[in-house]
Amino acid sequence: MAYNIKKMRNIGISAHIDSGKTTLTERILFYSNKIHAIHEVKGKDGVGATMDSMELERERGITIASAATNVSWREHPINVIDTPGHVDFTIEVERALRVLDGAVLVLCSVGGVQSQSITVDRQLKRYNVPRLAFINKSDRSGANPYRVTQQLRDKLGHNAVLMQIPIGLEDKHEGVVDLITMKAVYFDGPSGEIIREDEIPEHLIDEANEKHEELLDAVSLYSDELAESYLEGNATVEQIRDAVRKGTLSLDLTPVFIGSAYKNKGIQLLLDGVVNYLPSPDEIDTKALDMSNNEEPVQLYPVEDKPAVALAFKLEDGQYGQLTYIRIYQGTVKKGLELTNTRSGKRFKVGRLIRMHSNSMEDIDEANAGDIVALFGIDCASGDTFTEKGLNLTMTTMYVPEPVISLAISPKDKKSADNMSKALNRFGKEDPTFRSYVDLESNETIIKGMGELHLDVYIERMKREYKVDIETGMPQVAYRETVGTSARFDYTHKKQSGGSGQYGRVAGTLEPNTEGDYEFVDQIKGGVIPSEFISSCDKGFKSCLAKGKIIGFPVVGVKVTIDDGAFHAVDSSDVAFQLAAIGGFWQAFEKAKPEILEPIMKVTVETPSEFQGNVLGSINQRRGIIIATNEEGAFTIVEAEVPLSEMFGYSTVLRSLTQGKAEFTMEFLKYSKVPTNISEQLKKEHLEEKKSESKKK
Amino acid sequence: MLRNELIKKSPLRILEKSTHDGVGAGNIGVLAARKGVGKTACLVHIATDQLLQKKHVIHVSFASDTSHIVAWYEDIFKEIAQRYKLDNYDELHDESTRNRVIMNFKQYGDTVSKVQNGIRALVKDGHFSADMIIVDGFDFSKSSPEEFQVFKNLAEELNIEVWFSATVRRDDNKTDENGIPLILKSFQDNIAILIQMEPHDTHVHLHLIKDHDIIPAKDDLHLKLDPQTLLIAEEG
Repeated sequence: MAYNIKKMRNIGISAHIDSGKTTLTERILFYSNKIHAIHEVKGKDGVGATMDSMELERERGITIASAATNVSWREHPINVIDTPGHVDFTIEVERALRVLDGAVLVLCSVGGVQSQSITVDRQLKRYNVPRLAFINKSDRSGANPYRVTQQLRDKLGHNAVLMQIPIGLEDKHEGVVDLITMKAVYFDGPSGEIIREDEIPEHLIDEANEKHEELLDAVSLYSDELAESYLEGNATVEQIRDAVRKGTLSLDLTPVFIGSAYKNKGIQLLLDGVVNYLPSPDEIDTKALDMSNNEEPVQLYPVEDKPAVALAFKLEDGQYGQLTYIRIYQGTVKKGLELTNTRSGKRFKVGRLIRMHSNSMEDIDEANAGDIVALFGIDCASGDTFTEKGLNLTMTTMYVPEPVISLAISPKDKKSADNMSKALNRFGKEDPTFRSYVDLESNETIIKGMGELHLDVYIERMKREYKVDIETGMPQVAYRETVGTSARFDYTHKKQSGGSGQYGRVAGTLEPNTEGDYEFVDQIKGGVIPSEFISSCDKGFKSCLAKGKIIGFPVVGVKVTIDDGAFHAVDSSDVAFQLAAIGGFWQAFEKAKPEILEPIMKVTVETPSEFQGNVLGSINQRRGIIIATNEEGAFTIVEAEVPLSEMFGYSTVLRSLTQGKAEFTMEFLKYSKVPTNISEQLKKEHLEEKKSESKKK
Repeated sequence: MLRNELIKKSPLRILEKSTHDGVGAGNIGVLAARKGVGKTACLVHIATDQLLQKKHVIHVSFASDTSHIVAWYEDIFKEIAQRYKLDNYDELHDESTRNRVIMNFKQYGDTVSKVQNGIRALVKDGHFSADMIIVDGFDFSKSSPEEFQVFKNLAEELNIEVWFSATVRRDDNKTDENGIPLILKSFQDNIAILIQMEPHDTHVHLHLIKDHDIIPAKDDLHLKLDPQTLLIAEEG
């Protein structure tokens, strides 16, 4: 197909867990002739959905890594990224949305706007991504797309406008009435591949007319031409579509589509919606930062004849080396083209250029602005910018949340140790929310991540893909330390042991800082500390942040002000002032009512109402605060804030409390002060740990 | 200002004094007014006063979602804290949030039994020792005295004070000889305290109609809803 950027679409499929994203993507692949048979997530044929290529994904029936593919619909090339719903893999959604131009927000017709839909919506808003909503599972018992549309308005603040109304719901769901063409649309054939248009069923005519009017009322705001025609009573299909497109692109409007991916209903109309209403890459305003000019924003142009600029947004280490997914924002990337990695300054030649289809790939010779492709054998990190012809530009990178949970792991033998190191290196490169390091005190390898499932998946992958025989410790919470009040310090570092001495005195205040993790304020007057040693003081204070004195976790939320000090003409040095700052920091830290902070998770439990008492009790037992309960039909949705340390193993507890009928999601919310009794317990454990370590030594 | 001082100075002490120790555990109080007059603001102020006294509150609403109720509490708490220059803002705010649960229901079908089950589950299984229940947005026009009796029984069983808001429609503004809005007439036996909110040019007057067994109530509260702060205040 000839390159025409106006026809190109880059879309993401995002939603709450179990809303049917992967099932929907499977239908998109089928109807666009990318695959020739439909396989289900957790299907009985043992094949699994195309986009869940990882063995673990197929076994667990969840998407772990986002997968890219490309299809063609009505001569529009569409790059599709299917993203995971589970919040532990939220980075996959972040990076997909960073490079996509539009999104389909999938909602369950029964569950409605669920907790993860709210998270995904927040991510869509962060990157200003225009979106369509697809209300899936209209064949399910209790399906109510109207209620879900209202929730889109109430809970997410969307100006949600129905593009369709359903013809029957639950087991009577047959198709939809298209409110623009005012035709009934049915999906015939064994897999819904034959689209049949018909007259609107009589019993739906009044409702369709009413919703058609509502649609015109809502969208005529975006087009004067439509508003005029509407008043004259002769609005055309093209005029309405044009107005919907304008409203969608300006993020003011969310067109709502209805159907059932599993029952093969409504997908083709959703694809029409993608090409009709979501933007092409040249309709997106993209700017890079000019590193040679004070990071001034520079406009990028999605045209072929400008120097290439591309963003590496996802890395995968496979059997043929590192695969780097890139989004091209400007110019053309060809085999043999020389590009520069702006961050490292390293130049490289484009070798193999790949178009991805889930885990299979197709070699191509070139790709143009707007496209999403992959490169082989490039050494880079996720978020790097590649440029051509001496451009020194960088793209703003994506939001990477801090991991909140850690786990000690140890290989059982030498071979496993070697393989574990390879695996950790790869996972760390691929996933910026997965970290690993060796704790020098305990000599243990620690892995950190976003939740139990996140770490579970990587341990399982180490076992399967790298044959690592591994032992794991108990999951640990990523605590933080801070100060509760302000305190003065006045510390002199003085050392004279032959040769040149060390001398530095710093005085000032350590206080809580609500604005950020660390702030350094220099209020030295009269040169009592020479200016060349001010940065040494800053460096000294900063070095204290890595490990607090209460239980050895990082120190956050502190502001250090220096306002006095002294130096010696011969004995003062960079090191002397760093050491003085370190001494001063800990001197004040002990006086400033140090506190331990713990991660608090936003927990949402969906339970049949009959079990709500059990659920509320289980949250109470876990030091949780119940914020709200919402009744949704036969279900109660409990929103709570619970310390992460209390949530380990909760899925098993919840299962037994509710006969396996309740589900929960959780995501990091905030850090909060640990209650005194817990704080004392943590201090005691830390002390015991230190004692046993020193015995070992 | 310290918390204790603030509690002592609260205009809600006047409400308690004028109504012979307030609504009382096991009883129901009702704030009646037309739509948009400020019933929710008053109820949230009453609840916040309890929270500042370290008491626990369940707020039952029938809204489409709970976020705007949370926003009401945030606004009223902030207003009180600023107005009275409250010490330990963060600590008291966190404590208030911990001691408050919002329960949201759809008002159709067997709502009353669902509300009852939900509250009971929270108090008994959830070990939430509630002192007050606020029921905001309950539709008296679609309810029956028998259903209201369920709330009265629950209040007695759990020994909790309950406050309701009641919307009096503009076209149904009539009262009986004692000033009880006709819409509440059949419920009056189970209402301990009934306050009618009457909009005036500059403020909303809180008019005490029923004071336990005294109908019409003898004393006036001399309280108003201040339209600037949306807090209950003394009439100047």
